[in-house]
Parts: sequence; C-alpha cells; structure tokens
Amino acid sequence: MLEKYMEKDKRMTAREAVERFVSDGDSLVIANCLYSTPYALLHEIIRQGKKNLTVFQQGGIDELDQLILGGCVKTLAMAYNFRVAGERIQTVLERALRRGELEIEDYSNYTLLTMLQAGAMGYPFLPVMSGIRETDVYRVERAFKGQKFGEVTCPFTGEKVVVVKGRNPDVAVLHVQRADKFGNAQLWGAMINSKWACLASHRVIVSCEQVVDEETILRSPHLTVVPGFRVCAVVEEPWGAHPSELLGFYDYDMAFRSLFFMQTMSEEGARAWMEEWVYGVADRREYLQHYVERFGLRFLQELRAKPYTSIPADYGATGRGAWDENEVSFNFQMTRAEFLRALEEKGGFVDGVDG
Amino acid sequence: MASTVKYTESEIIVAHAAKEIKDGDIVVIGQGIPMAAGVLAKATHAPNCVILTEAGLVDIRPFRNPLHIADPTCTRGYTYSCDMIDVFATIVNRGLVDVTFLGVGQMDRYGNMNSTVFGDYDDFRMRMMGAGGAPEFFGYARKAVLTMRGGKFVERVDYVSSPGYLEGYGARERAGFPPGSGPKVVYSSRGVFRFDEESGEIYLYGVFPGHTVEEIRKEVPWDLRVADEVVELPPPTREEVELIREFAPEISAGRRLQLELSIPRIMEIISGKGR
Repeated sequence: MLEKYMEKDKRMTAREAVERFVSDGDSLVIANCLYSTPYALLHEIIRQGKKNLTVFQQGGIDELDQLILGGCVKTLAMAYNFRVAGERIQTVLERALRRGELEIEDYSNYTLLTMLQAGAMGYPFLPVMSGIRETDVYRVERAFKGQKFGEVTCPFTGEKVVVVKGRNPDVAVLHVQRADKFGNAQLWGAMINSKWACLASHRVIVSCEQVVDEETILRSPHLTVVPGFRVCAVVEEPWGAHPSELLGFYDYDMAFRSLFFMQTMSEEGARAWMEEWVYGVADRREYLQHYVERFGLRFLQELRAKPYTSIPADYGATGRGAWDENEVSFNFQMTRAEFLRALEEKGGFVDGVDG
Repeated sequence: MASTVKYTESEIIVAHAAKEIKDGDIVVIGQGIPMAAGVLAKATHAPNCVILTEAGLVDIRPFRNPLHIADPTCTRGYTYSCDMIDVFATIVNRGLVDVTFLGVGQMDRYGNMNSTVFGDYDDFRMRMMGAGGAPEFFGYARKAVLTMRGGKFVERVDYVSSPGYLEGYGARERAGFPPGSGPKVVYSSRGVFRFDEESGEIYLYGVFPGHTVEEIRKEVPWDLRVADEVVELPPPTREEVELIREFAPEISAGRRLQLELSIPRIMEIISGKGR
C-alpha cells in the first residue's frame, strides 16, 4: 500500500528526517544525479551509519563513493559512476568490490530508470529497447540474478520484447531549489531521473535551498517535480547540493571535487576525507562553516550563480467566478436572489435538519 | 595562400569529428571531446543541428565545454526541458537521433564497445564508468561517431556494453537494430577508421598528419584492414582551432596538461588563500 503524507507541516532537520524515514536494509534512490545531488541528506545517512542499503545509482560523480566509504551500501544497481584516474589507481568502488563488501548489478541509464518508471506507474514491468539483449548488460547478472531482465511476447504483434521489473525503492532523497512546508517540491534545470525516482519510492525526503510559501507554488505548479502528498519530510538546507550545482544558486565546485578524488586514491586519504567532511561536522551548517574556515569565504562566493531568470508563465484567465460583483451569474444571466427562487420552485428540495 | 597552423591531438580530432554532423541533424552527445565537436559543428557549418543530452536537456547551446552533460553551461538557454525517460523513449527509440557522439574505452573489430570493465567481470583489472546511455544510443541512433583517446582496440572486448556490428555480416540487422544504424567512424589521435558496409569490420580510412599506416597497425592486435587508398587528412583550419580554444581550452590542452594547469588554483584553494 502506498502511503500518503498529509501532514500540513513537514519541516524538520536532516537528522530527524533520516532518523524517521531511513532504516537499515532499505533500498534508496538518489533522486537526481550529476546536477543537484542531495549531498546534505546523503551525508546525514552516512553519519547515522545506515547499513545494508540497496542503492539505485543512475549516474554519479562522487556521492556513491561516499556512501560506500560510509559502509552504507550492500547492493548496487548502477548505470554510470564517474572516475578520474586510469588503471593504476584503485577507485573507492573498485576497492569495495575487491573486498567483497557489496554486490553490483550493471544497467544502462534507460533500463535502470525504466525499472523506476514502471514502479512509479504501479506496473509489474515495462518494455525497454530490446537491443539491450545483444549486450553483456543483459547477459551478465549478479545482484539481481533472475530478476534483471525478462522477455514477453507482444500480444498484438508477436514480437519478443525485453522488459525490466518495476521497482519501488523505500526511500528517495532529492534536493531542489524550493519547496513549501507541505512538500510540494520545485526543481528546474536538468531533470534526469528525479520525477521517476521520487514517484517510484515509498518515502520521499526533500531538501531545498528555501522553504517558500504556498502562494509561490500555487503560481508556478509546472515546476513541481513531486507533489506534497508523496513527500514525508522537508528539510531547508542552503547549499544542500554542494559540491554539485543548482541553477539559480551555485555552480559546481570543481576544486572541492578534485580534492575528494585526490584524497580517495588511498584508503587512508579516503578515511581522512570522510572524517573531515562528513563525520567531523554535525550537519550542513557546520560543513559550510568548516569549508569557510578551511578555504575561505571567497571560494564559496565565487560559486554563486548570477540571475538568468525565466519569463513568468501567465496563469491568468477572466477570473470570473460563479457570481460577479453585482451578484449576477454569467451562465444563468440572473441574480443570486432569482436563482434561489428558481431553486426553491424547481430544485426538488428535500427537508433536512441542520446540524 | 598556404600557412601553417599549430594544433594539438585533441584539436584535430574535434575538428574532423565535427564534420560528421550535418546541418539539421539531431545529435546526442556525451561529455569531453564529443561535446566540443558538437559545439564546433553548431558554431560553423551546422547552425541548425539540435544537440541534446540524456539529462533531459534538448537543443542546448553551451557557451563553454561542459564538465558533464547536465552542468550549467548546458542549461543556459535550451528549448525543451524533459527528462531521461523522455529522451530515450520519445527521441532515441523513435529513431529521431541522426548522430550520437561517444568516447571509446575498448573496441573490437566489429565496433562492439566496452565501457564497463577491463578484464574478468568479477576479478576485474579496472572498472570504467559504466554503460550509461551508450547501449541505447549506439543501438538506435542512425550513426555512431566515436572518439578514442586513451582507448584501446582489442581482439575481443571484455564486456559488451554497447552493440556494434556484433559478429559482423548482417548480425546487427538480424538482431533487430534499425537498418543502416551502427558505428560509422572512429577518430583516434592518429587517424580515422570506418566500417566495411558488408562485413561490418573496421578498416583504416585515413591518417592524420605526421602519422603512418604502419604505426597505427602496430596498435591494433589483429591484421587491420586498410583502405586501398588511405586518405591523408588535413590539419584543422586556423578558424577551427581558434573556435575550439575559445570555448574548450581544456579540450585543446588534453587531459594531462589540463590537470597540470588546474593544479595551481586547486592548491590555492586547499592552502586556504581565500580565508
């Protein structure tokens, strides 16, 4: 049963959100990648030592490495994960795989996300482009053995169609520009997997740069990527996607990421990085304080976005209600008093007792 | 008037690869050299091509070479904001992609490509970035244009991430891929390879200035077929080189020099100079 989240005010801290809504053994999807990666929430998951997660990783840069270093990941369904170094350097993922710490299943971007699309729609499976069957993405199975790909015969054409299983992760974590306290979350820029990752999942934790009033959402519903009734927590977290980028707020922090990749080439360096940037800070605020203390405010300020605003969409209409300012109905061409008389005469009234 | 032009290995690849895009093409592009080629094409002979990335960004106009396919240089003015499902299902699957531009990790003689793992799948030598969007782009675009810097030709790929001509001789079409689709050309830093239409086997089509057929043959572990008349490809024009350096100096520099040149700023930051 899919739960609805109808609390009027879901604002809480990242710590509270992760404590309440992420459990050991959960499946987790990072509901945007490359762009607006929810680092603040992921770091909180690591700090709380969540274990044995099954992670759906669409395409990441360093966030997956961090979850692995935190010992959070048991199973990994993955399409793409960035690496900088050549063959001589062991990446975090490689070291973890060699030690047998996690199981992996390789997908393509489309086949991975179609599992979530099917899950979001409540379907047991969905077709993918059948050519995948000619690749080892199809042939080699590990973590999802026997459940990776299937084949059905189209009842209309007889064609054999490759399908993937619909999947519903326990938790999606998402960072957006703005949300209201009910959880209506608005994201713009590269949408990648966010919609399907959120709608597929049982619980959606949203962090945002700003909690905005309902009016802002009501006037720009086209920007809402996940509706509030599917969201269980709203965390206001400025710079919550740093070092990735968020349009209207900040660019990616290339130097900071370089530091990560340089340090994580060794196990000791990786541990030191995690100690400094994840375990050594209590929350995102302390992370930012530490950034400023360590590198200086200037480097953070250099990332700040300059405005490039969208043209407002005019949601205007005549705005005509049932009764105009003279209490006349446009449709019936009569006054409210005349209407009530017509209702009395011809409306088939039933006598009732008020309250 | 003949005049000389100085260029780097990456620049000549970008300049030639850009010519694979025709005006009005719909083009799917990955990060790095491929994106530089796309942007160069749009700035020169193909102003009406539509460049898109699997991040759901369609008709982008990057003002510098993006770091990745969803970065803020891709999102400053684009005409259609959709998502990854929309790109694959409603654009790629519908046969609308004319050209896909991808980098190569490992490739065999029939253009089958590996971007997942070197060596045994479980006891690997190295894990690459993964299949990403490549299997479907490779499978369903009208033509795939490949750039190879640091990649390798091998007798057998260790893992087929993306389908080329499979075992050759029509195997690709029998497997149900769109007729005529598939890898068409590979640009390495030494020369250009194309694929025989009947067998699907790769052959050396042309060499870049300063390189020889023999040198290229040595880098291919099978008896590489060579065109009857190997084309000597011209260097990039001065205009092309200047355009590339204008929006993609990192690409001009190549990976190693780019890293070397980036270090001072990284060291400046790490040392806390901004405090």
